[in-house]
Amino acid sequence: MKPTEAVTQLRPRLSLRGRLYLFSGAILILFAINVGTSLWGSFARNESSLAYKEAVSAAQLTAELEQNLQNKRQQILVLATLRETTEEPLDAAALEQARTDFEIISERLRQLGGFGGEELEPYYRRLHDSATALLDEWNQFYENYNDATTSSDVESALSYNKTKQHLRELDQRQSFVAVQRAEAIDRTITLTDQITVIGFISSIAITLALVFAMIRSTNASLTRMKQGVERFGSGDLTYRIDARRDAGEIGDLARTFNDMSTKLQSAIEETNSARADADSANAAKSMFLANVSHELRTPLNAIIGYSEMLQDELGDGIDIDREQFHHDLATIIFSGKQLLTLINDILDLSKIETGKMQVTREVFNPAGLLVQICDALSPLLTQNNNRLVLDIDKDSMRDFNSDRGKLQQIVTNLFSNACKFTKDGDITVSASMTSNTLVVAVTDTGIGMTQAQQERVFDAFTQAESNTGLKYGGTGLGLAIVREFCTMLGGDINLESQPDEGSVFRITLPADPVSIPADA
Amino acid sequence: MPDHLVLLVEDNEVNRDMLVRRLQRAGHRVATAGDGEAAIAAMKTERPSVVLMDMNLPIKDGWTACQEAKSDTDICAIPIIALTAHAMEEDRQRALNAGCCDYATKPVDFPELLKKIAAQLDETH
Repeated sequence: MKPTEAVTQLRPRLSLRGRLYLFSGAILILFAINVGTSLWGSFARNESSLAYKEAVSAAQLTAELEQNLQNKRQQILVLATLRETTEEPLDAAALEQARTDFEIISERLRQLGGFGGEELEPYYRRLHDSATALLDEWNQFYENYNDATTSSDVESALSYNKTKQHLRELDQRQSFVAVQRAEAIDRTITLTDQITVIGFISSIAITLALVFAMIRSTNASLTRMKQGVERFGSGDLTYRIDARRDAGEIGDLARTFNDMSTKLQSAIEETNSARADADSANAAKSMFLANVSHELRTPLNAIIGYSEMLQDELGDGIDIDREQFHHDLATIIFSGKQLLTLINDILDLSKIETGKMQVTREVFNPAGLLVQICDALSPLLTQNNNRLVLDIDKDSMRDFNSDRGKLQQIVTNLFSNACKFTKDGDITVSASMTSNTLVVAVTDTGIGMTQAQQERVFDAFTQAESNTGLKYGGTGLGLAIVREFCTMLGGDINLESQPDEGSVFRITLPADPVSIPADA
Repeated sequence: MPDHLVLLVEDNEVNRDMLVRRLQRAGHRVATAGDGEAAIAAMKTERPSVVLMDMNLPIKDGWTACQEAKSDTDICAIPIIALTAHAMEEDRQRALNAGCCDYATKPVDFPELLKKIAAQLDETH
């Protein structure tokens, strides 16, 4: 039972149209059965009525025939007595009358033959034979009445009694057959009546059952639909209406709702993700502003603080320590320059972010540029007592098509970082070219970075430590700009570093201008 | 010399020197610390009357140091004035939440800072 039930459960319900057709068909079949049974019943009743009429007619005919025969017999017996006692001949009218009577008897006999079927045939045949013989006998009597020579034994009751006997037998048989037939017909009528009643009641029951089943199945389908739509309405768009359980229109409707839900869900997801993007962009902007504010205030603190202090010192009339004064002014200038660098870096980063930073390509010799940069930054190098190692593979160097200004800024940033974070060490600038790439590496023997620091160091406003800017200077924007520039020039930057051992920043730029992204 | 001591916690040498000189000129006795941990130690040994605390500090940042100081019964009574370049409103709240009794932004409005120090000294004496 169980597997069958499971199969029934899984098989999709009929379509709504299918259900209506099935329902109408079933009702029509029931109607036809009822009509057929009713027709059968009325046919049987008709038969019964006919049989009754037939039985009555046959009985009447038999009675009449018997009466006729009896009358004729009486007449003949009277005539036979008259013939013997008187010599009076039989007139033509009487003869004619007798013939007519015989014909009536024959006619009735024939009519009697029309009733009943094969079952009565032998009885009728016997009656017919004996009646015919009797009539012949009687006819003979009349024909020879006036002929005195012929004698007649018409008084003998043999033939008459035989005929009468046969007639009674036929009558009895007829009654018996009629009763049998009536019983059969009655049984049929009872049966058809029963069938009609049962058929009618069962039709009502089946119709009710069908109506109930249809209402239930359609209601179940529509309820599933309604529940699904309610779930969708309450925001549960991952819900799916089970469309396999309905074929046809309702199944289609369920699938359509499911499709609608899928599309709605993806639309909502898109909207949410767009809003999340906008929110995170907004948060990033706020964070950027807070960072800019913080970074600008740090050098300004020194500039304003030292300026006010010097002003105070000038005002209080005590002799000025010229050396101290000079040093303080240098601090103000240094902080001012740092502020300028910061502002430039912020502008650069902002330009990059808004897509306004242009790449200006020109053909130049990278070796010459690198030497120039190192020369220009030698004051930085000596500040921390560092040594420069220039390792340029001059043989591989050839003219290079790229943005000279950006390469200069990249190398300057990397070089000044190396100088800041290294004390009494070596700064190595190495460069080599292959047929399509320029590789520049800036290696230092400075403080290095942990893995966690390396992961953050290219993010804007991030330095290895939050106090790095104050301790070593810098804005936390230099490496972010370096990375952006490398990307704009179609290249890449990578970093290897060990804490307390130093860092290697290696940039790889394409020598072929075609590989620079078009939108850079 | 005045009897009270101001502890300046600042990791940037330039800013530290500048503030030390200006505070001394204003008549304060000044001790310094370069990070959060040194600040806690100095509060215990030097027993300053008031602390000026930068928030971005190495080893232990200002917020943490402030919270630690406030939960240490030995030094929790010492008032701490936050001194930071984080100038957003939520930064002020963050400093006060960490246990600072007052808040000053960089660049320093020096006369205002002196008033804030004086206010804390008045409260504790």
